[in-house]
Amino acid sequence: MDVEVLKTYLPLYNEAILLTIRIGWLGILAAFAIGLLGAVIQYFRIPILKRITAVYIEVFRNTPLLVQLFFIYFALPKIGLRISAEACGILGLGLIGGAYMIETVRSGLESVDRIQSESALSLGMTRGQVFFYIILPQAFSISIPGVVANVIFLLKETSVFSTISLMDLMFTAKDLIGMYAKTIECLFLLVVYYLIMLLPVSIVGTIVERRARYAQFGD
Amino acid sequence: MKKDLLTRATGVFTAATLIAGVVTGCGSTAGASSVEAKTDSAPASSEVYRTLDEIKESGTINIGVFSDKSPFGYVDENGEYAGYDVFFAERIGQDLGVKINYVSTEAANRIEYLQTGKVDIILANFTVTEERAQEVDFALPYMNVALGVVSPSDAVIESLDNVGADDEIIVISGTTAETYLEKNYPDIKLQKYDAYAEAKTAIENGNAAGWANDNTEVIAFAIENEGFTVGVPSLGDSDTIAPAVTKGNETLLTWLNDEIKAIGEENFFHADYEATLLDTYGADYEDTLVVEGGKVQ
Repeated sequence: MDVEVLKTYLPLYNEAILLTIRIGWLGILAAFAIGLLGAVIQYFRIPILKRITAVYIEVFRNTPLLVQLFFIYFALPKIGLRISAEACGILGLGLIGGAYMIETVRSGLESVDRIQSESALSLGMTRGQVFFYIILPQAFSISIPGVVANVIFLLKETSVFSTISLMDLMFTAKDLIGMYAKTIECLFLLVVYYLIMLLPVSIVGTIVERRARYAQFGD
Repeated sequence: MKKDLLTRATGVFTAATLIAGVVTGCGSTAGASSVEAKTDSAPASSEVYRTLDEIKESGTINIGVFSDKSPFGYVDENGEYAGYDVFFAERIGQDLGVKINYVSTEAANRIEYLQTGKVDIILANFTVTEERAQEVDFALPYMNVALGVVSPSDAVIESLDNVGADDEIIVISGTTAETYLEKNYPDIKLQKYDAYAEAKTAIENGNAAGWANDNTEVIAFAIENEGFTVGVPSLGDSDTIAPAVTKGNETLLTWLNDEIKAIGEENFFHADYEATLLDTYGADYEDTLVVEGGKVQ
C-alpha cells in the first residue's frame, strides 16, 4: 500500500464523508420526525390516517432505497417535479427511515403496559398527560436500541447514492478506482472512513441507552 | 458500568483494527500477484487469469461487455447481448471453439474484473490509455474513438471553455471523458453517474448542461433523441479501442492479436460495422470508426 497515494486521496474522502454526514443527518432527522408522528397515529388508532400510515410503512419498508431514489430522481422530473440530488437523498433516507422508525417507536409505545395508562387515567390525569408523562418517556427508553440500529442502517444505506450522482464515500472510492486503479488504497480508506463515521454512533448510542434506562436498571 | 462501556469500546476498536488488517492483508496479496504477473516468474496456474489452454479446456470463455451501451454492447429486445463489441465476441467464441459467458460490466469496474479474474477478456468499448495499460494488457485495436459533448439543442455547448460556472457536465465514472475533464478542465463541475442508463436519463431530464463521453456514444444519443445536438464532435486526442486481458496473460493476448490480424484479411470489422452500427451512424462514419487488422490508418 502506497502512503503517498493515501495522502492525495484524503481530501476527496473528507469531502465525501462530510456530504454523507450532512445528508445522513438531515435524512435521519426527517425519519425520526416521521417515525414519531406515525407511531402516535398508530398508537391512538386515528381513523383514516392510520390506514394511510399503514400503506406508507408497507410501501417504503418493502422496496429498496435504490428503487425509491431512482423513482424520486429519475421518474418525478418526467412529470415536471424536479428535485436536486441532495434533496432527493435526504427525502429518500427520510422516507425509508421513517417507515422503520414508526415501527420501532410504535413497538416501544405498545410495550408500556396498558394498566399504567388506565391507572393514571383513574388518578385523574388527562389523556395528554398520560401520554407525555407516563407512556412516552418509557417508550423512548425502550426504543433507543432500535432507533440507534436504524440510524446506523440509514448511514450505511447512503452507499447507494451513486445512482443519483452524489459523491458519497462509496461512489468516491469506486470513482477513484475506475480512474486510477489504486484498488487497495481506495478500499482501505473506504473501510476506515465508514468506521470513523459509524463507530461514534454505536458508542454514543450505548451511552444514551444507559442514561435513558437508568430508571430501569440503576447503576 | 463505566468499565463496561470502556471494555465494549475497546472491543469495537479491536474489531476495527482487525477488519482493517484483513483488508490490507488481502490487498497486499493482490498487489504481490500483480507484481508476479509483471515479472512472469510464477507458474501460470497460480495466477488470477486463465491461459488460452485453460479456457479451451473449460469450454467456456468469460467476456466482459456493456449491457447498456447501445449500439456497442447492449441487451436487445429478446434479452440477447448484441452490438459491435458483442459481434466480435461471438467471433472469438466461434474461432476458439468455446461457449461464451457474457459478464455485464460497468465502466468503472473493467480493470477490476480483469485483475480479479472475473472475466478473461474485456470487450466493453475499452479505450486504450497509458494509465490503463499499466494495469491490463491491451490487444490490437479494432475501433477509433475521440471524446465528444452532447447538449440540449436550445443551449448547445460548442466549446468546453464556454461552460458556465454553475453548469454541470455529466460524465460516467471510470471513462476516459472523466479523466480528460478532471485533468484538462478542473474548474468544470462534473455530475458523475456509474452507469450509461442513468447518465442518459439524467441528460434527458435536463439535470445538466451537457454530457461528455466517447463521441461515438454522444453522436448515437443525439441521433436517437430529438432536441439534442453534438456541439463538440471531437475533443482531445484520437484514441483507439481494443480488447484487454489480465496483465501478463501472454497466451490469450497473442491469440487475440493473431485473431484480429487474421479476420482483418476478410474485412471482418467492416462487416461488423455494417451489421451493428450502420443503422445508427450511416455509412459516413465507417472508415473513421473501423480499425481493420489492428492497423490504425
